Amino acid sequence: MSVEARQGIAITRVPAGLGGLVPALALIGLFFVVPVLALLLRSVTDPAPGLQNYAALLGDGTYARVFFNTFLVALVVTIVTVLVAFPVAWMLAIMPPALASILFGIIILSMWTNLLTRTYAWMVLLQRTGVINRALMAVGIIDQPLPLINNLTGVTIGMVYIMLPFMILPLVGSLRAIDPMTLRAAALCGASPLAAFRRILLPLSLPGIAAGGLMVFVMSLGYFVTPALLGGTSNMMLAEMIAQMIQSLLNWGLGSAAAFILLIVTMALYALQLRLVGAKRTAGGV
Amino acid sequence: MKLIFAGILAGLMATTAAKADEMVFTSWGGTTQEAQTKSWAEPFAASSGIKVLQDGPTDYGKLKAMVDAKNVTWDVVDVEMDFAIKAAKDGLLEPIDFAVVPKADLDPRFSNEHAVGSFYYSFVLAWNKGAVSGEPASWADMFDTKKFPGKRTFYKWSAPGVIEIALLADGVPADKLYPLDLERAFKKLDTIKSDIVWWGGGAESQQLIASGEAAFGQLWNGRVFALEKEGADVGVSWNQNLTAADVLVVPKGAKNKDAAMKFLAAAASPTGQAKFAEASGYAPINTKAKAEMPADVVKGLPDAHVDGQINLDMNYWAEHRDEIATRWYAWQAK
Repeated sequence: MSVEARQGIAITRVPAGLGGLVPALALIGLFFVVPVLALLLRSVTDPAPGLQNYAALLGDGTYARVFFNTFLVALVVTIVTVLVAFPVAWMLAIMPPALASILFGIIILSMWTNLLTRTYAWMVLLQRTGVINRALMAVGIIDQPLPLINNLTGVTIGMVYIMLPFMILPLVGSLRAIDPMTLRAAALCGASPLAAFRRILLPLSLPGIAAGGLMVFVMSLGYFVTPALLGGTSNMMLAEMIAQMIQSLLNWGLGSAAAFILLIVTMALYALQLRLVGAKRTAGGV
Repeated sequence: MKLIFAGILAGLMATTAAKADEMVFTSWGGTTQEAQTKSWAEPFAASSGIKVLQDGPTDYGKLKAMVDAKNVTWDVVDVEMDFAIKAAKDGLLEPIDFAVVPKADLDPRFSNEHAVGSFYYSFVLAWNKGAVSGEPASWADMFDTKKFPGKRTFYKWSAPGVIEIALLADGVPADKLYPLDLERAFKKLDTIKSDIVWWGGGAESQQLIASGEAAFGQLWNGRVFALEKEGADVGVSWNQNLTAADVLVVPKGAKNKDAAMKFLAAAASPTGQAKFAEASGYAPINTKAKAEMPADVVKGLPDAHVDGQINLDMNYWAEHRDEIATRWYAWQAK
């Protein structure tokens, strides 16, 4: 049977009912629902049936701290990413297309470069004997190396850099959709550039910020390589702790419980955001 | 279509047929596995006709998953000794067939019923000569920030090493280390906590010392050996060097157990051990291996520094892994 013929069948079947969705649902079930259920099951049965893994995670100050760190890092990274990405995205949106496509190329190229390589590059730049500290000391701005690595600063710099494309791309989309005439109209009506930004550009670009922000936040929650290499032990994130539990300590019950809590919290945040942004967008539309 | 199926079927049958004279060896990758391939796998394949496939890196979670799922694709795995002891207790390993693997010359410190030593290494005190004035001589110097200012680097994970170093630096005699006084160790570590940079892997430890990012460090001797070979200006103190071992194990239910035992015999033989030690800078676990090695190589191995050498107690660690890990991460996160 040819591919076209099969597609033809699928197309004719979908309107008749949900039959066409069966393969997709089966795939999602097999590769997403089943593993998540297995994870949940393990978290309440390993090493013994009961909720002791959750009790251990929620009752212990260390784990609570790691959870807190994880969300703190993700939040800081998301905020800084928005602040850095916005001007870049605005520039891309108003640039002549030919120039913009070159800039896009550069951004995409950085995404395609190996993550580990980019993280190591930041290590070389940020360390005490690194390029940045040496340059600053050479010109006499500082006389002691700045602590840029093995702390929250290092993690934030490294992760913001890696997350930027995920914020810029949706943001450019929503900025390009804004009619430039609205800004001109605002100026004609006497709005200062700041007022025009605050009352027109920002509200209209909110869907892009929300989409990019959610993506960056959720990706940051599960990030592993960059925080492990650029962070210190006092800002260990959950992914690193889970890896440690699963790979080294073979404490799968505890690791599963931690992973499950992360999943639930992420999904709750997602639902909350859909609600808030969804509601706001509808209101804005009306 | 039929042709494709026939091809796949033939391929499947071929792999099944080939299974009898094939086995899979798994190690940590990098220069260590390269040395193991050259020193053990290749000569073994040539003499026995058993093809040795390579996999890696070693992943304890994966090993457990394979055994639990009764679908074990690894036949011989290079693991850390304390893990091997715990894994044997959890029923994840096959017992070693000492009728095939001759036991007589194996260093009893690094082998047991479920594991044959792979190599042993020492944690040594290494420093960047450009970043340190004077010569630190003991672990106590690593904790003396007045005499030796600068960052110091230690192994990040909860594993044999750092706790012992802190206790030694605090004046605990080597033969009184165990049971570990965790309270005392963390109190000592508190005194230099803000001066510690952690390394999570061997390459990172080398990078930190070579760049001077950390002036001193607790490093695997093989990593210092490699730094010296590359011409980095590093100093090393073997005073109170701490030994620990990697061992070779056979996961429970390995499909090519017989081939695996023969491979272990070859890897643990004097020649196999001598060749590997020469390539890696780690020490042999076969007591007869030294005789087959050039004198200048022996000089650089932990073997040549048995005075003041301290054996990390793997049985103690295997027993208390979880308890120490909980305390360790709680302290680190503070």
